Amino acid sequence: MDFSLLSEALTSKSYEKVADICDEQMLQVAAKGVAFQDDWPYAIHLLGHIYAGDINSMRFLWKSMPATVKEGNPEVIAAWKIGQKLWVRDYGGVYEAIRGYDWSQEAQGLVAAFSDLYTKNMFQLLQSAYSTISIQDTALFLGMSEDDATTFVQQQGWAVDPASQMLTVKKQPIVTKQKLDARKLQNLTEYVFHLEH
Amino acid sequence: MDAVQALVANIQGLSSAGDISHLHVVLKQAPDSLYAESTRLLPVLDQLDPSKHSLGYLYILEACSSGSVSKEQGSALVLPIATFINSCDTEQIRLAPDKFLSVCKRFKDQVMVLEEPLRGVAPMLTAIRKIQTSSEHLTSLHPEFLLLCLLSKCYKAGLSILGDDIFEVDQPRDLFLYCYYGGMICIGQKRFQKALELLHNVVTAPMTVINAIAVEAYKKYILASLIHHGQFSTSLPKYTSSVAQRNLKNFCQPYIELANSYSTGKIEELETCVQKYKEKFENDNNLGLVKQVISSMYKRNIQRLTQTYLTLSLQDIANSVQLNSAKEAEMHVLQMIQDGEIFATINQKDGMVRFLEDPEQYKTCQMIEHIDSSIQRIMALSRKLTAMDENISSDALFLGKVGRERQRFDFDDFDTVPQKFNI
Repeated sequence: MDFSLLSEALTSKSYEKVADICDEQMLQVAAKGVAFQDDWPYAIHLLGHIYAGDINSMRFLWKSMPATVKEGNPEVIAAWKIGQKLWVRDYGGVYEAIRGYDWSQEAQGLVAAFSDLYTKNMFQLLQSAYSTISIQDTALFLGMSEDDATTFVQQQGWAVDPASQMLTVKKQPIVTKQKLDARKLQNLTEYVFHLEH
Repeated sequence: MDAVQALVANIQGLSSAGDISHLHVVLKQAPDSLYAESTRLLPVLDQLDPSKHSLGYLYILEACSSGSVSKEQGSALVLPIATFINSCDTEQIRLAPDKFLSVCKRFKDQVMVLEEPLRGVAPMLTAIRKIQTSSEHLTSLHPEFLLLCLLSKCYKAGLSILGDDIFEVDQPRDLFLYCYYGGMICIGQKRFQKALELLHNVVTAPMTVINAIAVEAYKKYILASLIHHGQFSTSLPKYTSSVAQRNLKNFCQPYIELANSYSTGKIEELETCVQKYKEKFENDNNLGLVKQVISSMYKRNIQRLTQTYLTLSLQDIANSVQLNSAKEAEMHVLQMIQDGEIFATINQKDGMVRFLEDPEQYKTCQMIEHIDSSIQRIMALSRKLTAMDENISSDALFLGKVGRERQRFDFDDFDTVPQKFNI
């Protein structure tokens, strides 16, 4: 089996491509009738789906694995655990699952990148969903100690109320680039004109 | 030189000379007895190159794989067929589409016998792309491909063909199965909108007798509709066949009852109904979806609250949607915010939730792009419809029938005694 594409994606840190590369390669290898199951990088494949946020595909991959891999490969089990926590939305549990295993060298970079991405997404979620939130919960969602979490969010402009141990969320105004394409506007104008006449 | 060798020589000679149409005639005229010797034909394939001698290769491959094949023979065929599909020349195989389809179907049967559906996924997709005349063309390989995706749990691979809009269908059964399997794949990937669209196509497709595919599709349609829209309407559109209108509901009574109990908005009633028909749902392989229906009800009830209140305490939310604690309610609201299903902010300090309006102001570039592409699609569809309409109205058969009927109606107009009197 030729894993040059996959290792290239891993070394160049193009983690978003990992799942697609694995999917495609698996279909090609299977079509050739190769018994690939025993040395397939299932852990990386699972983590690739997790990184891409495709929990459904991750679940189906797990279901298609042979039982020997599901029971015998500790890294696969560890990766599946992250996926499980994501699936049931156990926000804090995701970090525990990440830290709960000593990842192999190939998986390390991918897991670390996912962890950062997940923290970033969680911060966005807290920012959009809460107006005030306890320090304890914030630490849980961000996977940090309470002190680290407090310092982190203070840098983002949140305010601490020491008496109630609550944080007041500061909403970031969402800035979207508004580069107006005159042609698009022209098109819409023509449609409206056409409909009115 | 015996007949088989002569045929091989012909295939090699005519293929390299580029005289494919002549070769096609030769192949068609070869006696049936020649193709019946399947055991002698298989070794011959080694003398041919699937990419250059595609048509000849296809004829021999078809002869080898048709008829009854033992399990060993069948599994020996899987690899050559997969290689052939990958390397064959598109123009040559399109000369004998029936043979190609039959080889591919045999291939699918064999990987199923081997219980290795994953082996068939990639070749089947290649086969579809090679044999279809355009992406709007539904071949009879489409449903086979989706079935292999389902069995091998490669749902993502299945999505790749579900994005194509279909306008051309060879066999009604292909469309039924394609939409049914497609619906299942989309449900698995939680793309309920697309799943509903596909399942709706099955239920409303023209049919003269009720069929099992439509019944199963209707069951899944009911469940997906509850999950996605939070409601279900039993009335089908006017263009639905009268057979479906009359019979579908009778075949899906437990599901209709489930939908009715869902509409009460009471979680206990829904659960009682699920318990009552649990076995039925399980036998239909729909219990997982039914469970998703139950959890969607909490969401639906929270969504309903947003229509009434501007702010509400987490405890009140928990009470009114029957959750155990304020914390649980908070998690539900958070999930819904994460999925973009409601717009709200949670205030943990006061234990309150503030419901907001949809912040979308329809003025971003993205939105303009979205509107523009939707209009383009509708315009393309409308052009297609006009073309089809013109086609039909200039069709001799159609005109002949319409002409006859008009005459009859004209005659009826003058007939003062209505026919119902001759009982």
